[in-house]
Amino acid sequence: MAAQQQNLDTIADDLANADVTAFKGSAQRFAELTAPGESGLGTIALGPHVLLTQGKLERSGGAFDLAIDGPGFFVVRDAHGRRCYTRDGAFERASDGTLRIAQGPRLDGITVPPDALSLRVAENGTVRATFANGSRDLGRVRIALFPAPDRLRNTGGALFTATPEAGRPRLVAPGSENGPTLRFGMLERSNVSIVAAMMQILSAQRAYEANAKGVQAADEMLRIANNLQRT
Amino acid sequence: MVAARTRLEIATENLANASTDGFRHATARGALTRNGVSVTAVADASVQGGLRHTGRDLDLAIVGPGSFVVADAAGRHVTTRAGSFTRERDGTLRDATGRMLLAGGQPLHVPEGASIDEHGRIVSANGLVAGAITLPAGSSVRSGFLESAGVDAIHEMIDVLSAQRSFESAQKVVSAIDRTREKSSGDVARLK
Repeated sequence: MAAQQQNLDTIADDLANADVTAFKGSAQRFAELTAPGESGLGTIALGPHVLLTQGKLERSGGAFDLAIDGPGFFVVRDAHGRRCYTRDGAFERASDGTLRIAQGPRLDGITVPPDALSLRVAENGTVRATFANGSRDLGRVRIALFPAPDRLRNTGGALFTATPEAGRPRLVAPGSENGPTLRFGMLERSNVSIVAAMMQILSAQRAYEANAKGVQAADEMLRIANNLQRT
Repeated sequence: MVAARTRLEIATENLANASTDGFRHATARGALTRNGVSVTAVADASVQGGLRHTGRDLDLAIVGPGSFVVADAAGRHVTTRAGSFTRERDGTLRDATGRMLLAGGQPLHVPEGASIDEHGRIVSANGLVAGAITLPAGSSVRSGFLESAGVDAIHEMIDVLSAQRSFESAQKVVSAIDRTREKSSGDVARLK
């Protein structure tokens, strides 16, 4: 029953974030509880693991919106300068020239001069700014690939931080062979399916009820056993 | 009454693991012995659980007989049908409890970007076969799926209720015997 409760918590978190750009849902895993030489001790929830499947890409019309088609993450820096990884590409131009996502972290390596009129990002990651008197390349957006991306730590919303288990990130230029590509003017939706989550809630609830019935039956049997002496 | 309790334990264990992937449910088998009915749990290995689509490449489900061989932290080899693996930095695959997937007694190494085909072969991004999961003939592996527990919740629920009722009947018998003895001891005393 405790395991199903944790399962419900995971699903609720997914549902709450179903509208967050590039949010990755999680799934709870269960294992049979065993001890050496013993089995039949029940079940245990092993903790959620993140599902890094591609979310749908949606044309957004934002002037600096980027989406990754394929694996990998944007490299961003948070307020303390620490590196974080995200697939959320809803960037906005801040007053200091950096491109920031809504949660505050800024895109690593790109600064937009104040007199730039507009930006374009090519599929290979080249950022080109248009000025009143022509255009100029500002740099290249790179995508971080991890050997074990499942092991990244989710630090809220669509932000991840590196862990020793996830391995050292490899920075690649988008658009290379078999690699991810960038889509300008698009955003990645979360990969949470609301319908699937609702169905998971129902089945978790039923599993909880069935287990409660088992507890009730055991309770009833103990009551009968206790009454043996009196009858 | 002990038999009824064992039946309840088996049914609740099955119910508790109704969400555990790759779980094989146990059936209660009763046998008449000199001391009454004895019930033992018999693991039923033949039932194929339903396949559930997860979309993760390293979620593997076996269709047909066979199981994954994994090594736990102490190096013991264990078989399991739960195939939710994650790739480690060194390319080995570990399941949710940290056990390492083996092939032919050796840890299986999966290169980055490799996929697993239905024969259990590890096919790397450039089309080379880097290894294979050992499977009995006729079985196949589905990548992106997990095998759900083969637990029939309705069946287990009926077992819970019938175990409770047979416990009650046994209690009735015990009290009937108790009343008979009470009566005989009381009446014998009065005769004297």
